[in-house]
Amino acid sequence: MSAPAIVSPFSLLDGAIAVLSLLATLWIGLRVKRYIGTIEDYLVANRGMGLYVGAASLLSTEVGIITYMYQAQFGFVAGFSAFVTGLITLGVCLLVGRTGFVITRLREMEILTVPEYFETRYGRSVRVLAGVLMAFGGSLNLGIFPIIEARFLAVVTGIPSQYLGWTMAGLLVVALAYTALGGMVSLIVTNYVQYLFLAAGTVIVTLACLRQVGWSGMVGAVEGHMGGHGWNPIQDLGIGFILWQVLLWIALMTVWQSVAMRTFSTRDAAIGKKMFTLTGFLFLGRALIPMVWGISALAFFWGRAEPVTAPVAETKLAQMEQLDARLGETFRRDLDEGRLERALPQVDLLERLAREEKAASPEAARFEDAARDRRGEIGLLAMPWMLAAILPTGILGLVVAGMLAASISTYAGYFLGWSSIIAQDIVAPLLSSRGTPVIPRDSEATGPEGSAGVADPTSPGSDGAPADEQAFTEAFPRGRRRPFGVPGKRLTRQVIAQGDPRSTRVGTRDAEPLSNRARLLLTRVTVVGLTVFIMIWSLVYDLPGPAYFYLQVTANLFMAPTLIAVVGGLYWRRASATGATLSFLLGAAASLTYLVPSLKLDVATAGNLSWALAVAGFVVGSLLVPPERREAPSRADGGSREARS
Amino acid sequence: MSWAFFWLVTFVVAFGAFSLISLVIAIRGVAEIRELFSALEEEMRRKRS
Repeated sequence: MSAPAIVSPFSLLDGAIAVLSLLATLWIGLRVKRYIGTIEDYLVANRGMGLYVGAASLLSTEVGIITYMYQAQFGFVAGFSAFVTGLITLGVCLLVGRTGFVITRLREMEILTVPEYFETRYGRSVRVLAGVLMAFGGSLNLGIFPIIEARFLAVVTGIPSQYLGWTMAGLLVVALAYTALGGMVSLIVTNYVQYLFLAAGTVIVTLACLRQVGWSGMVGAVEGHMGGHGWNPIQDLGIGFILWQVLLWIALMTVWQSVAMRTFSTRDAAIGKKMFTLTGFLFLGRALIPMVWGISALAFFWGRAEPVTAPVAETKLAQMEQLDARLGETFRRDLDEGRLERALPQVDLLERLAREEKAASPEAARFEDAARDRRGEIGLLAMPWMLAAILPTGILGLVVAGMLAASISTYAGYFLGWSSIIAQDIVAPLLSSRGTPVIPRDSEATGPEGSAGVADPTSPGSDGAPADEQAFTEAFPRGRRRPFGVPGKRLTRQVIAQGDPRSTRVGTRDAEPLSNRARLLLTRVTVVGLTVFIMIWSLVYDLPGPAYFYLQVTANLFMAPTLIAVVGGLYWRRASATGATLSFLLGAAASLTYLVPSLKLDVATAGNLSWALAVAGFVVGSLLVPPERREAPSRADGGSREARS
Repeated sequence: MSWAFFWLVTFVVAFGAFSLISLVIAIRGVAEIRELFSALEEEMRRKRS
């Protein structure tokens, strides 16, 4: 059996198209750096983002080559059942967009990062803890992007393996350059251009799949080669998985830093809500379209496959051993040369034999696991190999340009997101010598570098009450007090109107803030450090299972406790710092169990365990140790008087 | 309704919506970027003065 290797038709023309698109992006990204004057310009583009550009920015940040790869892999191994995650995403986006759940309140507070809210609600220690977990989980999450994306580029462009590292380094440097210099302004503009490339590439590949395989071919592949699975998500994936996905997507859409930064960058909360409604359908496509590519790849390679027979042996166990040994010799080479039509039937046969024999011989389970892992590996590379086989020269260049645009925009968005957390929520608070660190705003700038004055909330007002107490009372007279965490902006305006520029920041307490220039430098240095870490991590880490699950579990490391602590802080008066701290520690520990191979927890169990423990820790901690007066929802975060007493 | 038909309809909606919204973004986004630059330039002028 000698299947022909696939050779990519990627030519000089394709390379030129891809490189030109990269240079154009870099040029645009660098040109706008002159608009960056303050940390607020840098991180949230002075909150001037409109609806359509916001939607483009949000989607291009959350779509990279890796997204296409893991979604295609999910479609390849789970068939149409995988589509349910797209429907969940759409439902969550519409819910958030229609109700403004969490996002409206966070947007109105005019914060720069999600952990910033934790300081105003729970205190600095929770902010730093959340920042550490977010930076850790986010960096682990981002850390496998380059190595997986390098595999895509190697297959589709045929770049020799010795140049792959340099290629990825080059891509990271492009993203690093304009992100470090231009921040969110660069991102918004480049994201728009990148979105156009990305969307064009996505449409081209989908049409090519439909032309090559057709919908009926996909249906036939799922019917014929998935053993009765691939249709019903409840039966195939389980209620536990679906529940976990719902929770995770609510968290991703509300408190995932790169998404939240887009919310913070919108002109106002209403635009933020519309942005989510609009992008709901784009996120549906983000899931379903590459899943269709994966199913197309399944149909494509099964269509080229020849029947394979089980080795002759006395027992089924012996047959499996022989088959496994044969795969051990050929599998890696087949994967590297695109001979998936040879590897796939053998893996399929091994899995079927193991499943049949499992009841009689527990040893067969080992072969079933091995076959499943190999199917996952094939699933990851099947889509790029199919593209290399079916796309002609010229079109391939356009598609690669679209993929590179998707990828670089993701790197750039995540660099800015995670580095802002590291700089603003970990390093800056720790550098601050005393009191609560304060991020200076433009309106607070008192010197050439925009350094803010020191607020003294206890200085008396005209009636003897503390100045900010008086401001709060005037801003929120009894009877129209707002719930927890809402009105930083209105309070700020009120205080400014009173001529007290020192108190224009929520949560100010005897602070000694870094200057704007220092914060900009700190964030830029962090972006560079993060890039170096990602390059190293992607080289040393070995994935324990499908990329889709790894990415979601590393995200879940902090997503569950972050959402719970935000929602609890906004909507539950008794929420306390102890509850939030316990929630973060337990939620993260539970999520990490998936990454420990010896525990053998499946992804949905680890995910749901994380949510359950995060909720339990939050509730128990808050009930056992109620909030102290200073951490109760105060005027600083807009809490009601009743809540403070 | 079979699963195959349900997933076909879902895919058609997803692909159609993605293509259509992308087109709208391509057209309307240019004006928004101009507005963003104008606002940023205005902000810079305000700070300088």
